[in-house]
Amino acid sequence: MSPKSYQLLEHTADIYIRVKAKDLKSLFVNSAEAMFDISTSAKKPISKEKITFPISQTAVNKEELFINWLNELLSLSAVKKTIFTDFKIKKFSENTIEADVSGISAENFEIKTEIKAATYHDLVLKSEGKKWIAEVIFDV
Amino acid sequence: MFENKQVPLEKIDDYRFRIPKSYKQGMRVDGIIYADEKLLKDILHDKAIEQVANVAFLPGIVEASIAMPDIHWGYGFPIGGVAATDPENGGVVSPGGVGFDINCGVRMLKTNFQFDEIKGRIKDLIYVLFSDVPSGVGSEGDIRVSQREERQLLVKGAKWAVEHGYGVPDDLECTEEFGAMEGADPAAVSERAYERGKSQSGTLGSGNHFLEIQVIDQLYDQEICDAFGLTLGQVTIMIHSGSRGLGYQICDDYVKSMIRCLEKYMIEVPDRQLACAPVDSPEGKAYLAAMKCAANYAWANRQCLMYLTRRSFERVFDMPWQKMGMNLIYDVAHNIAKIERHSVGKTEKNLCVHRKGATRAFGPGHPALPERYRKTGQPVIIPGDMGRNSYLLVGTQKAMDETFGSACHGAGRLMSRTHATRSINADDLLKELESKGIIVKASGRGTIVEEAPQAYKNVNDVVDVVHNSGIAKRVCRMKPVGVIKG
Repeated sequence: MSPKSYQLLEHTADIYIRVKAKDLKSLFVNSAEAMFDISTSAKKPISKEKITFPISQTAVNKEELFINWLNELLSLSAVKKTIFTDFKIKKFSENTIEADVSGISAENFEIKTEIKAATYHDLVLKSEGKKWIAEVIFDV
Repeated sequence: MFENKQVPLEKIDDYRFRIPKSYKQGMRVDGIIYADEKLLKDILHDKAIEQVANVAFLPGIVEASIAMPDIHWGYGFPIGGVAATDPENGGVVSPGGVGFDINCGVRMLKTNFQFDEIKGRIKDLIYVLFSDVPSGVGSEGDIRVSQREERQLLVKGAKWAVEHGYGVPDDLECTEEFGAMEGADPAAVSERAYERGKSQSGTLGSGNHFLEIQVIDQLYDQEICDAFGLTLGQVTIMIHSGSRGLGYQICDDYVKSMIRCLEKYMIEVPDRQLACAPVDSPEGKAYLAAMKCAANYAWANRQCLMYLTRRSFERVFDMPWQKMGMNLIYDVAHNIAKIERHSVGKTEKNLCVHRKGATRAFGPGHPALPERYRKTGQPVIIPGDMGRNSYLLVGTQKAMDETFGSACHGAGRLMSRTHATRSINADDLLKELESKGIIVKASGRGTIVEEAPQAYKNVNDVVDVVHNSGIAKRVCRMKPVGVIKG
């Protein structure tokens, strides 16, 4: 991931980020990468053993799909004790996402911040010129 | 008249400001903010005031959307928000009015020690506590709970812990709801939520969760201090934690289902994180049944954390905790929704009271209180930051009359985590705290910086407003001497 695909915005209690991408599908990937980048830091040397899980989410609009996607990743990460690093989206529309997500055992990471959930408050998903932008607040 | 981003504020008296419901079309009641002019300046820095107005849109809300002086910007509800809805008039319950960390709360226990007697042992205590009380993100404990037992734990709450040897029956009497809300239904909890909360009983967690050794440095109400057995210089302990992964997943599951309810019940709210459903609807009932499971889990968790704390003291001082007088004063929830009986005008009603970063503060004589606190009012525990003070107060009749029996829950954040991380050096901060006689151990250096005293409002100012406005009464003040941060 390009470390410049997201920036931190000011929020008193939680974590607020702006993410950029070339299209909506990449915005989902970049936002997921940003979320794990904010919350974890890889220890060295890091294991190369990756585990892959399928994810499938549906929603009535892109905003709900976005929040469902991020929260499913957080939940799966906690349950499987895995930090996700690769997001291969196989099927994508504004209402559906199917992906294979791969990650490394959480033992290989220092957890900097526990993200409890992505929230709808002040959520923005918009296209601006040739870019897509997401602004999302995470409860920490 | 103050103006913030077009939010008009009318001064009611020295400690209250009103956002008139005319501010936004759709507000059903006024917003009322408990603050003085000094704190108001901090409150106006972010979007918390706007969130107070948003909460006033909730169907069935009665009296006012209330904010405590520790209010700050959250998601959905402001942190420090209180709202009561009337189920008989379409009143709703909103998972966003409780938050992801359901029944995040705090408990305070006392000891027989005077600080002067054990000040040379605080470092030992902190190191033993840090090793024996699991803390940090995703921390797992030694308290193993089988799947069958987990369901019992969700129903019995702190009582489950006591039945398994992690405390004594007297602890339950000193816990809000006696350590368990009735009506918890494990069937309303998803398999994923069970999985996410597994192995986390008896763990502190991370972020602003902490375990502190404190010393009473100021008495305000001698009579109540005598009744509670509290003296100047006495060592006390405070534990702040919640429902861990189980609570996060339950909130996530039900926000998802309640987003659908907005259309189904034709509810209009300005923020989708305020998604809600009528209290008496199938969705509302299911959420409350699951939320109660998480609340009970949190009480069991804090009971187990207290057990581990008592055990650590036993290791250091080589005597049973009973001999050290390590009795619980009280345990309060500060992220919760409850059906409670309150007066609305001249009528008594069952209301769904949301407290999001607010503490129950029932006054003297309330039937929900155990006999020992009927005369004094309910103990209200207000933790501050790790460098300044924390407080013990009691609830009042005025809280019953004005705030649905609620008070503030802490100091309230002032500075963003990113700003704190940019501007504060962890080593300098630790040195500064040590020079004040405060020993800190944390799972991560990031937490130390994010939770620095300067990132918070001054709790003394917040408690001044609560006390002076009469919604809770100061009993005594504590200062930290040893801190474990998750």
